[in-house]
Amino acid sequence: MTTLLAEAELVESRAILPGQWIGSFHAPHVASGARAGQFVHLRDPDPTTELLRRSVPLNTADPSTGIVTLHVRTPRSRFGDPSPVGRLRAGDRVGLVGPFGRPFEVDPRSRHLLLIAAGLGVAALRMLADEAVRDGRQVTLLFGAPAARDVYPSSLLPDEVEYVVATADGSLGHHGPVTDLVPAYEAWADQAFAAGPRTLLAELARHAAGRRERMGVANLGRKRGGGRPEPMGSATARRKAFLQVALDQPVGCAAATCLGCAVLGAGGVPLRTCREGPVFSAPELDWDALP
Amino acid sequence: MKAKKRVVTSGPQTPTRRTPTVRRIKSAIVPAGRPSPASGVRATHAAGPAAPSGIGQGDPDRATGPSVDVAVDLGRGLVLANPLVAASGPFGYGVEVADAVDLGRLGALITRGTTLRARAGAPPPRMAATPSGIVHALGYQNPGVDAVIAKHEPTWDSWSVPVVVNVCGESAGEFVEIVRRLEGLAGVAAVELNLGCPNAARGGTPFTVDPDAAASLVAAVRRTWDRCLIAKLSPGAADIRSVARAVASAGADAISAIGGVAALAVGGPGSGAVLTGPAIHPIALRVVHDVVGAVGVPVVAYGGVAWLDDVLDFLAVGAVAVGVGTAALADPGLPVRLAEELEDVVAARGLASYRDLVGIARR
Repeated sequence: MTTLLAEAELVESRAILPGQWIGSFHAPHVASGARAGQFVHLRDPDPTTELLRRSVPLNTADPSTGIVTLHVRTPRSRFGDPSPVGRLRAGDRVGLVGPFGRPFEVDPRSRHLLLIAAGLGVAALRMLADEAVRDGRQVTLLFGAPAARDVYPSSLLPDEVEYVVATADGSLGHHGPVTDLVPAYEAWADQAFAAGPRTLLAELARHAAGRRERMGVANLGRKRGGGRPEPMGSATARRKAFLQVALDQPVGCAAATCLGCAVLGAGGVPLRTCREGPVFSAPELDWDALP
Repeated sequence: MKAKKRVVTSGPQTPTRRTPTVRRIKSAIVPAGRPSPASGVRATHAAGPAAPSGIGQGDPDRATGPSVDVAVDLGRGLVLANPLVAASGPFGYGVEVADAVDLGRLGALITRGTTLRARAGAPPPRMAATPSGIVHALGYQNPGVDAVIAKHEPTWDSWSVPVVVNVCGESAGEFVEIVRRLEGLAGVAAVELNLGCPNAARGGTPFTVDPDAAASLVAAVRRTWDRCLIAKLSPGAADIRSVARAVASAGADAISAIGGVAALAVGGPGSGAVLTGPAIHPIALRVVHDVVGAVGVPVVAYGGVAWLDDVLDFLAVGAVAVGVGTAALADPGLPVRLAEELEDVVAARGLASYRDLVGIARR
C-alpha cells in the first residue's frame, strides 16, 4: 500500500508493432519480487485523458537492475492523437506502482507449458515464458493475430520457446483462429496459460472443461487435480488447474477497495481482478457472466 | 546488496517476495506563507492521537496545522476537524487504505454504500474510462450492514476521524432498518442517506428526483436516528431546490451533493451506471449553488474535485465541506493534501477562519 504513490523513469521505449510499444522503466520497487502474471498501475501524465491509472501486465522484470518493461498499446484520445503516455520520452517520470495481483502458478511437476495468446494478450505471458525457460521447462507459444503485420516479433521471445502463429487472413502461419492450433498441443501440455480477448479465453475455458473426458487415461498417471480438494482460488488449487487465464479487466484503485474491477466467480461471488486476479484458473470464473 | 549463494535442489525457483524499502525524503522547500508548524492547535478531532503517517501525503512532519480555524459543524455534535472529507466509495470502509492514507487528517470518512443484506454487485464490466471521468455501476456490492458493523465498527471507534456510514436501500423501511442497527454505535458519527438509490415503491425512480419520497424517507429515518443525519442528493430532479427544501424540513441536519450523474458508456457498465470525476464538477457546482440558496442547513459538496481550485469553487458557492471521490482512486493522498493546501491558503490570505471563503461567490 505504501507503494501507491511511487514514480518511475522511462529509460527507453521502442515501437514494436503498429500502435504498440515496449517501454523500459527504472522501477526497483516494482521489479523486486515481481512474478509473471502480476500487473502494475501506470498513471497517465494528463489526467484529463485518462483519469485513472491503467493496469498493465508486467512484460519483464529484472530485480538486479530494477528495470521493468511494459508492453503497451498507445491509447488515443477522442481527437485521434496519441495520449501523453504514448508520447513519453526517455527520462520522463510517470506514476508507476505495483506489482499487484496474484501471479501464474506453475506446478513444479509440469515440464511442458502451453501458452496461448492473441494480440496484446502476449504482454501478460511474456514473463511466464522467461521464468519457465529459466526453470528448464519446455514452452510453446501459440499466437493469434489478424494479419502478419500484427504478429508479435519472434526476436522478442527467448530462443527456447517454440513459437506457432495463426493469422485470421492467412498472411502468416495457420489460416484461422489460434484456437485451431490448440488440439495438436493439448496432449503434450501439462498446463496451459492464456491471455487475450474475452471470447478467446471463454472458448479455451470451455475446451479445457471437457479435457478430462477427452484425454481419458492420458491424464491418470499425473493425478493432477486429484487427491484432496483444494479451496477454490488458492494457489495450490490454481497450480493443479490445467488452464489459467490472465484477465485484462481495467483496474480502478489496485488497492482492492473500489470494487470496479470485480468479475463474477463461478459461485456468483464477486472476485476483484486486482486482488484475487488478474490470474484465475478457468473453473473459478463464471464465463457466461463475463462480457 | 551482497548476493547470497542459492542452492537449487529441485523445482522452480520462487523468488522470495521482498517489500521494497521506501525512504522518506524530507523536503527543504517550505511553502511560503505558512506559520511555524509547531504553533497552533487543530480543531477538535485532531486532538486525538494521530493515525500512522502515510507516504507522500504532503508534509509528513506536519503534526499540527497552521493556527487557522478550519473546523466544520455539521449539526448535532458532529464537528469535523477540517472541511476535507473522503467521499463515499474510493476508500471503502477506511480499513482498506488505513496504512497508506493518514485518515486522522481528514475531516471525515464516508464509507462505501451499505445495504441491509449483502449484495454481490453488478456483473462486469463495472467501470469504463471516459474523458475526464469514469462511468461505473458497482451494483452496491457490500457485505451488508451487520457484517460491516461486526468487522469494522470497533476499528472506527479507535480512530480520531469521524466515520459516516453511507446508507443505501430500496425503500424507506430498508433505510430505517439499517439505521436502527447503527444506532448507539460509538464508531459511527453520522449517517449519510444515499437518495440516489432507486425507490422500489415508485418503479425505481430515485428518491432524489422526487421531493415527496425523499422527504418521507428522511422523516422516517429521523424518527430513529438522533445523531447527525446527512441527506445525499444527486442531480436529475426538475428542481433540485424543492428536493433540498423537502429533506431539510423533514429533519436532515446537512445535505450533501452530488452523487454520480446518470450516464451510459456503450460496451461499458449496464443499468444504473453513473458518471463521476472532473467531468461532473461544473454540474455539481450548479447543484450545490442552488441547494445552498434554498436551505439553511450546511452543505457538503462532492463532484469531480481534483485540485485545490475545485475545493475553493465549492466553498465559494456556499458549501461548508468538500469531499474527494474518484480522483482519490488514482491518488489516495489527495484528500489529505488538499486539506493542508486549504489551510495554507487560509493562512496565506491572513484569514481568521476558512469560513471567510465560504459563499464569497454569492455576495
